[in-house]
This record gives sequence, C-alpha cells and structure tokens, in this order.
Amino acid sequence: MNEPPRLPFGAASPPRAPSRQVVTVSALTTQIRTVLESTYDEVWVEGELSNTRLWKTGHLYFSLRDDQAQLKAVMFRSAVRYLRFKPEDGLKVIARGRVTVYEPKGEYQIVCEHLQPHGQGALQVAFDQLKRQLESDGLFAADRKRPLPLLPRQIGVVTSLDGAAIRDILTVLTRRHPTAHVLIHPVRVQGEGAAAQVARGISLLSRTPGVDVIIAGRGGGSLEDLWAFNEESVARAIADATVPVISAVGHETDVTLSDMVADVRAPTPSAAAEIVVAGREELVNRIDQLSRAMRGSVIDRLGRRRTRLLELTRRPGMAAWPARLAGRGRHTAELTHALTNAGRAIPSSLERRLHAVRSRLDACEPGRRLEASRTRVVTAHERLRAATAQRRQALASRVGDVAGRLDALSPLGVLSRGYSLCWNDDRTAILRDADQVSLGDGVAVKLRRGELTCRVIGKK
Amino acid sequence: MEEHITDFESAIGELETIVKTLEGGDLSLEQSLALYERGVQLSRFCHTRLEDAERRIELLNDRGERTPAPDALTQALDDGDNA
Repeated sequence: MNEPPRLPFGAASPPRAPSRQVVTVSALTTQIRTVLESTYDEVWVEGELSNTRLWKTGHLYFSLRDDQAQLKAVMFRSAVRYLRFKPEDGLKVIARGRVTVYEPKGEYQIVCEHLQPHGQGALQVAFDQLKRQLESDGLFAADRKRPLPLLPRQIGVVTSLDGAAIRDILTVLTRRHPTAHVLIHPVRVQGEGAAAQVARGISLLSRTPGVDVIIAGRGGGSLEDLWAFNEESVARAIADATVPVISAVGHETDVTLSDMVADVRAPTPSAAAEIVVAGREELVNRIDQLSRAMRGSVIDRLGRRRTRLLELTRRPGMAAWPARLAGRGRHTAELTHALTNAGRAIPSSLERRLHAVRSRLDACEPGRRLEASRTRVVTAHERLRAATAQRRQALASRVGDVAGRLDALSPLGVLSRGYSLCWNDDRTAILRDADQVSLGDGVAVKLRRGELTCRVIGKK
Repeated sequence: MEEHITDFESAIGELETIVKTLEGGDLSLEQSLALYERGVQLSRFCHTRLEDAERRIELLNDRGERTPAPDALTQALDDGDNA
C-alpha cells in the first residue's frame, strides 16, 4: 500500500555503541504511535470478527483476522450506536478506522469508525441475525399463531395517516363490512423513531378494551423504508400483543420479521382488511346456510307427512268409507222399513196362528197335548201382547215426536221468547187491535209464566 | 322455547344443534315445528347482531384518548361508496 515510512532512528541498522541514543519506553511508544497514527489515519481493513465483546460502557472490542494475522480493534460507543447489525464472531466485515497504539499495553490496534458486513448489506445481515434470534426464541412457532376473531368488535390499525395503506384498509373495510368499528393509532412508518412508534402503537391498541384484532403495516417500499417492521422492538411488540396481529407490510415480495411473528401475514394492507372481514362474511354465510338447511328440513318433513296422509286416504280401506257409509245409510233405511213392516205383520200373523191353534185344539181330543197346547197358547198370547205393546210404544214415541214439533210451532213457545198474549176481559178474543178495547176495560196478559190482569189506561 | 339468547357464539351453536336435530332426529311434527321456530328466532338474532351497529372510524392517541377520524379520511370513503 503505502511506502513504508522512514523511521526517525535506524532500526534496521545494527546499534553502534558510541552514538547510541537511549529513550524511555513511553517516549518510544509515543513515537511509534505518532508514526502509526499519521501513516494509517484512515484505512479500510477486511477481515473476520473474533473475540467480539460489547462492554457495559458501550464500547465494542474485537479482533479482525484472516488466515495469517490478526489485528486488535475497538469501536467506541459513539460509533457503535450507528451499527445496523450486531457484530458477532465469524462475521466477515470491512472496517474503516485509524491505527493507533494503546500505550499501557504496548499494543497497536485499529479504532473503528465504521463496520459493514463484507459481501452483503448491513441491513441484510441485521435481518438475518434478528431472524435467527427471534426464531430461537420461538416467536415464529406455528402454535403461537392465534386464530382471528370471526366478529371483531373493534379493529385496531397501526399505520401512517398519510400513506395509501390506511385508505386501502378503510376502503375495503367499509365496502365489505358496513358496521366496522375502526380504531387507528397513527404513527410514522419510516425514518427515525418509526419502529418505537409502531411497537408502542401495537401494545397500546392491544391493551385497549374492545379491540379484538390489530392490523400493523404500511405500503411497499425499499428495504430501508420497511426497516421499522424488521426491528426487534416491533417484532417483540407483535409477539407480546394480547390480541391477534395481522402484519401488512409492502407488496407481496417483501417479507419482514413482523410478518413472521404476526399471527397472520397479509401481503398488502388491503389484503389485511379483507382477511379481517372474511370472518364476518363467513358467519353471515353460515347463518344463511343454517337457516336454509333448517327450513329445508322442516319443509321436507311437512311434505313427507302430507304425502303419507294422502297415501293413507287413498288406501282401499279409507277410500271405501264414504261409499260404505252411504251404503249403510240405505241399508239402515231398508232395515227400518222391514222392521216396521214386520212389527205390523207380527200381530196379525200371530192372531192367525192363534186361530189355527185354537181350531186345532178344538179339533183335538183333550188329552196329554192339552197342557202343552195351552202353554203354547199362553206363550203366543204373551208374545202377541209384547209385540202389541212394543208397537204401541213406538206409536206413542212418534206421537211424542210430533207433539214436540207441534210444541215448537205453538204460540206458547213464542211466549218463552218474551212475547205475550193479550186477551179481552171475557177471554173471547186475543187482542190484535187497540180498537178492540175501550179505555177502562180490563185485559188479561198471558206471559210465559203466569198471567197479568190489567186495565187499559190509554191508547195510541 | 322462549329462552333468552345471550350471545352470538352460543346462538350460532344452538342453531347448528337445531339443524342437526332437524336433519337427523326422528321428531314429531310438533317438535320439529317448535325447533324451527326457535331456529328462526336464533338466526334473526344473529343477523341483527351482525347488522346492528354503525360504521365508526376513530383515532387513538398516545394517551389512549379517542377522537373521530379526520374528515379527510372518511370523506374519501363516502365518495368511494357513491362511486
């Protein structure tokens, strides 16, 4: 690189006694330091990190080495602060710094102003490092993923009010969920302090009563732009949230650590909103489906019953009934008629038989058969009387029937409905005209029960 | 059958049970009609729950206080609705 500096003393030449110059260790060390610092005041060194230790003071101590050599290195807190990745052993880096001497130990070392991973961007390294860390902490585990609520009462959103993300989210939510209740915590999503704000917003919304799900995200951008969602604080806030978190960062190709920790990863903010409302739509469909199934089943049941009823009424046993009833009616009438005739016939036929018996009796000699014949005669008599009585009774009941009907027609029946009959004094006529009586005449008024004797005191 | 319906989840659960019973069970007509009535009641409840709210968009500040979202945000949505 540089031409080797000329040293102020002849280190390469053999010491010469007379002209020898003795210096103190400090003086020499200071001289060496001066030489090194002025010569190597800004160098770029490529090597692998080893013995890396971050002290409590915030300073970072390590060595840079390659196959054959190693170089002690320190990075002070003021520079460490700006590191985007965590320096760890084995990492190939390029360091920028100045070479100096640590006088108390007589060691030269490089004081690094800047470190960057060799071969890949610092952000990428930082990403990989944190990813490994979160993974070993179990934050990506599938069994940590919580199911989203089907019907979130309030939907928390952590994003910027300025970007397209919030509009995309609100547009979808309003279109597909007419009764959505959205609670937005506005944050910066990129630049200084963005990660802290996003992390805080997530934990704030997660603790807000009524919020059942949180969308955290932003629109697409460069790896730098999305960086807040790769920060440990945001990843941890998502993991610690008490309600499910949907991460919605950038476009489909950008996968952030937030995405990996989140319960659900949505490729875009709009997609996150769609995922949130999908539960509600699923519910609506399920209820509709259940209602339909229920109605279908009941209608089906009714239909089966109706069919069965129809079948039953068409079965021969049932279908014949009306005809059979009609037949019975006719049959009954015929039987009644026959019975009546029989009833009438009985007495005359009995009488005829009685006569016959008598004439046979008369013709017979009195003897053994007399007694038997008498018995038969008596029996015949009895039967005759019984038949006659029966017939008489039937007639009597018919008469009663007619009387009943007559009664219904009787004017006396009318009285029971509240009308009354008015007779003249000597009961020769029922009064139908006021002219039939004079003032002062007596009249008799017959009511349903009892009678009134009245005097006419006026006429109209 | 006039049991009170307390929450959405149990309403849906009961509705599912009813449908299952209706589809599988060997019920009398009266029983199935009673179940059906209850089912209709439940599904109405669910629908009401789903529709019975107004859209609300609010901001939450660092102190946990809520304010209505700025018109600029909701205005755009309403325009979108009309479009």
